Amino acid sequence: MIFRAVEDADLIRKARRGDVEAYNLLISRWERRVYNYLLRIVANREDALDLSQDVFLKAYQNLRKLDDPGRFAPWLYRIAHNEAYSLFRKRRPEGEAEELQPETLTGEASPGGNAIFPIEMTLAVSSALAKLSADQRETVILKIYQGFKFEEIAEIVACPVSTVKSRLYTALDLLKAELAPVKARGVS
Amino acid sequence: MSCSPFELRDYYFKELAENERRLTEVHVKTCANCREELERLRATEAVLLTLSDEEIPQRIGFISDPVFRPSPFRRGWDALWGSAARLGFASAAMLSVALIVFALARPVPRISTPAPAIDRAALEADFSKRLNDAVEKAVAVNEARQASQTMELLAKYERRNELERQAMIVRVAEYLDVEKKRLNTRILASNGDISGASQ
Repeated sequence: MIFRAVEDADLIRKARRGDVEAYNLLISRWERRVYNYLLRIVANREDALDLSQDVFLKAYQNLRKLDDPGRFAPWLYRIAHNEAYSLFRKRRPEGEAEELQPETLTGEASPGGNAIFPIEMTLAVSSALAKLSADQRETVILKIYQGFKFEEIAEIVACPVSTVKSRLYTALDLLKAELAPVKARGVS
Repeated sequence: MSCSPFELRDYYFKELAENERRLTEVHVKTCANCREELERLRATEAVLLTLSDEEIPQRIGFISDPVFRPSPFRRGWDALWGSAARLGFASAAMLSVALIVFALARPVPRISTPAPAIDRAALEADFSKRLNDAVEKAVAVNEARQASQTMELLAKYERRNELERQAMIVRVAEYLDVEKKRLNTRILASNGDISGASQ
């Protein structure tokens, strides 16, 4: 982990001096994670890809503003968070308070029956996540799927650590109840 | 919920400080409720993680475009500010220079005058005039030197001619004198012969 952080910091220093190849290498390390983070927030592959490209372009243009290269990941995800919420604001009609809910990504029907199939599990998880508020969902994604610390999540979504914890634990209680039938049927 | 002295879910997510983590660990070993809560958290996370990451449909990459490249000044500036050691050294150097300058020189108030506008045509005319003057002066000096040399040579030649002419006159005079003496000798000799014959 430390070795990786040092290498990223080295690539960032090179990219700051105009080394595009170093930056491309840095992108190759982070693009999959950023894409999946955005995909789970905006729930649309095309939007997630477009946003990922915008995120890495903005990151390159603002790389010199990054004070500590060791904090690249939260800084990059902060840009991704802002881009995603900027898209939400553009798409949401003026004055409408309703939150954007993600669509089901797989688009396939549940095969049914007592046995739990992977596709059914995926659908159940997607559906359970969709029932969370946007803030709760993002916190779960950043903690469970992206593995950030509370402090880093607080930096990404720009709110106190206590708020991050509150959102996560409320979301986990909701998910626990929502996914209880699925857990009972198949996952150890 | 948890009866742990600290938040059990913080413990599960490894977000507790080391001493708190140890205390919670000890508590969990003796508390069935907390163990069950931890198990429920594990199960929920396991279900959530069945939603795996997708591959990005298209790789992202940038080509080297000068438009996006920072300027050399910006790169140098970033390199300077990017290193605490270099920045410290630069600050110390600047401070030293400032101290030396203020110690050695007192500031003298100066009236700043605006830089005159550069007239290219006037500059070219001035340059041509200076060039012509320099050439004319050089030609005049050269001509004077040549005239002087010519005069010297002429005078020398005339002096030599005069000497040669005088020498020739002397030689002709000597020759005439010799011839005259020789003629006189012959005349005297012939006069002696005549007088002897008559006696």
